[in-house]
Amino acid sequence: MFQYILKKEFLLLSRDIHALLVLFIMPTLFIVIMSLALQNTYSNKVDIKLQVAINTILNQDIQYITQEINKDNYFQAKNTNSENIKKLIYEKEFDFVVNIVQNYKNQINTNQKDFTIEIYINPNISLQNQEIFKNVLTKVISKQIMKEYFIKNKINAKTLSHLEKTITIIPIYKEKEFQIKPTSVQYSVPSWLVFSMFFILIPISNAFINEKNFGTISRLKSMNIPFISIILGKMVPYFIINQIQVLFMILVGIYIVPLLNGDTLQINGNYGLIFIMSSAISFAAISFAIFIANISSTSEEATTIGGVSNILLAALGGIMVPKFVMPEFMQNITTFSPMNWGLEGLLEIFVMGGGLNDIKAYILYLIIFGIGFLALSYIILKKKENI
Amino acid sequence: MAIEIKNLTKFYQKHKVLDNLSLKIEEGSLFGLLGPNGAGKTTLVSIMNYLQSYDSGEINIFGYEYKKQKKEIQKISSYVPQTYAFYPNLTAYENLEFFGALYGLKNPQLKRRIEYCVEVTSLEKFLNKRAHTYSGGVKRRLNIAIGLLNDPKILYLDEPTVGIDPQSRKYILDVIKKINNEKKTTIIYTSHYMEEIEYLCDDIAILDNHKIILHEKKELLLEKNSFITIQTNTEKIQVDVKDDYNNFIETLTLLKNKNTPIENIFFNNKNLEELFLNLTKGNLRD
Repeated sequence: MFQYILKKEFLLLSRDIHALLVLFIMPTLFIVIMSLALQNTYSNKVDIKLQVAINTILNQDIQYITQEINKDNYFQAKNTNSENIKKLIYEKEFDFVVNIVQNYKNQINTNQKDFTIEIYINPNISLQNQEIFKNVLTKVISKQIMKEYFIKNKINAKTLSHLEKTITIIPIYKEKEFQIKPTSVQYSVPSWLVFSMFFILIPISNAFINEKNFGTISRLKSMNIPFISIILGKMVPYFIINQIQVLFMILVGIYIVPLLNGDTLQINGNYGLIFIMSSAISFAAISFAIFIANISSTSEEATTIGGVSNILLAALGGIMVPKFVMPEFMQNITTFSPMNWGLEGLLEIFVMGGGLNDIKAYILYLIIFGIGFLALSYIILKKKENI
Repeated sequence: MAIEIKNLTKFYQKHKVLDNLSLKIEEGSLFGLLGPNGAGKTTLVSIMNYLQSYDSGEINIFGYEYKKQKKEIQKISSYVPQTYAFYPNLTAYENLEFFGALYGLKNPQLKRRIEYCVEVTSLEKFLNKRAHTYSGGVKRRLNIAIGLLNDPKILYLDEPTVGIDPQSRKYILDVIKKINNEKKTTIIYTSHYMEEIEYLCDDIAILDNHKIILHEKKELLLEKNSFITIQTNTEKIQVDVKDDYNNFIETLTLLKNKNTPIENIFFNNKNLEELFLNLTKGNLRD
C-alpha cells in the first residue's frame, strides 16, 4: 500500500511545475548568485578595488603613499591635481580623495597639533571600508616615517618588509586539517539549502488543503486509512524530496558554481553527518508545513502564511544576511529560528569539519520543534473531528 | 436488514442536529434520503461513514455493530462524497490504482476491479488523461468508479449529480440503477433533485428538523398521497383521498345536494416535490 502512496505523491509533485521551481530552481539560483556575490567577502580575490585619489595640489612629495596604497588588495590609488573635490568624487568616480599638507612628515615628527590629513569620501562608502582605508593610510604613513628613521639611524630596513610576511592567517578546523580557506560557496550552499528545504511547505500544504477541500481526506477516512498512514504518506515522500534537494544543492556547489568562476564547494565534514543533520531539518520543515496546512483553509492562505513565515525565519536565522555581520542583539535573536539551527549545524559540518558532538544540540532543537508542531496539528485535527 | 438505526442523537455543541432518529433500510434497496438544507442529511451520512461521531443511539449495518465492528463495516461500505474526491493531477487509471491499493487490492485482482469499474462507468476513453481535463459529468463518473473499487455491499452517494448536464445525469442515474440491479448493492442516495429520487429510488425518507418525518416505499408513498380533482362549471375542487374515498364521496354528495353540475373528474398522484414541500411546510431554510 505504502508504495502506491509514495508513487502518488511523486507523480503529483513531478507534475507540479511551481513546486519544482520553488524546491530546486530557486535555491540553485540563490546559491549561484550569493556564492559569486559574496566571493570577495570570504577570499583575498578582489575584482573591483576602491578608487583613491591622492591629491597633489598641496603636496608634491606623496609618490610613496600612492605606491604603498596600490600594494593593498582593496584600494587603487592615483595621483591627481585638482581643487575641485566634488568633481573628483562625482565625475572622476573616486571613492576617496586624500589631501595631505606640505611637509607632512616633518609635521608628524615634530608632533604639530594642528596637523591633519583630510580624507573626503563618497557617502556610499560603508563605515567598514572607511575604517579599513583609514587604517591602510595610517599604516602607509607610519611605515614611511619608520623607514626614514631606520635609514637615518642605519638600522637594517629589511626588518620592516619582513614584518608583514611574518604574519600569516591559518584557519583551524575541528577534526581534520585543510589547506584551503573557507569560501563563500561553503556558506551559501547550507544557507539556501535550509531555506529551500523549509519551502517544502508550499507543495505539502497545497496537497493537504486540496485533499481536505476536494473531500479526498473524507474518502480516505471512510476507507479506514489510519491518520498515521495519511501523515506518514506525506512525510516520507517529502523527506525523500528534501534529501534529493540536499544532494542536488551539493552538486550545484561542486559543479555549477565553479563553471561561473566561483569557488568549488569543499565539504570538510562527514557526509553521513550531513544526512543526519538534513534529516532533522527535514522533519522540522515537514512538521511545520503540516501545521500550516491545518490552520489554513485555502491554498492561497497557506502559501501566504507559509511563504511569509519562511522568509521571516530566514531573515531571523541568518540565511539572508550572514550572522557575523549582524549586531549582537540580532545575533541573539537568530538562535530562535529553526532555520538558524539547521544552518549552524550544516556550517559545523561544511566549514568547521565538526563531528556529531558539535551538531547534536541543533538536531535536538529541530526534533523538538518538529514534534511540537506535529502535536499542535494533531490537537487541531482532533478538535475539528478530522481524526 | 442492511441498516438499522435506533434513537440516534447528535449534538453540535449545544445544538441538536439529529434528534432521536430511527430508520431501517432493507438489503438491496435503493434508498433516497431527502431533506431541506440543514435537516441533517450530511451529518447522518457522515456518521454512517465514521466521518463524525454521535452522542447516543445504536447503529447496525449488515448485522455488524457500528462501534465494535468498524473494520468490518468499512470493508463492505463505500462513500462517494459530493466533491470530486480524487487527485485532479492524476489520470483516471492512476486514481483508481491508488484508491484500489488503499482498499488492500493487489494485482491481478486490482487490475480486474479497475477494468470492471471503468467498464461500468464508461471511462475507457479517459483512462490515461489527467482528471482535471475532464468535463463535470466524467469527473462524477470517476468519483463513482472509485467508490465501486471495493465491490461494496452498501454504497453511499452524496448528491452525485450536482452541476452536470441532463445527459450525464441520466447516464449516472442509469449506472446507479444498473449497479443496484446487477450486484444487489444497497444504495443510500441523497439529493436535492426530487425527480431523481422519484425516478431512481424504491424506498424514500424525508428528513426535516433533525428527524425522519416520513419513510415509505415509493409506490405506497405516492399512492397514499393521491388526490382527485372535481371540475364544476364554476371551480376546480381538489380532494385528498389517502387511504379511502370517503372524502371524495362526501364532496360528490355535497355538490349533488347543491345541484352543482360536474363537468369532469381527474385522478392524480401528488409528485414527490409537492409532497416534500407540503411536508416540510415549504419554508425557506438556511
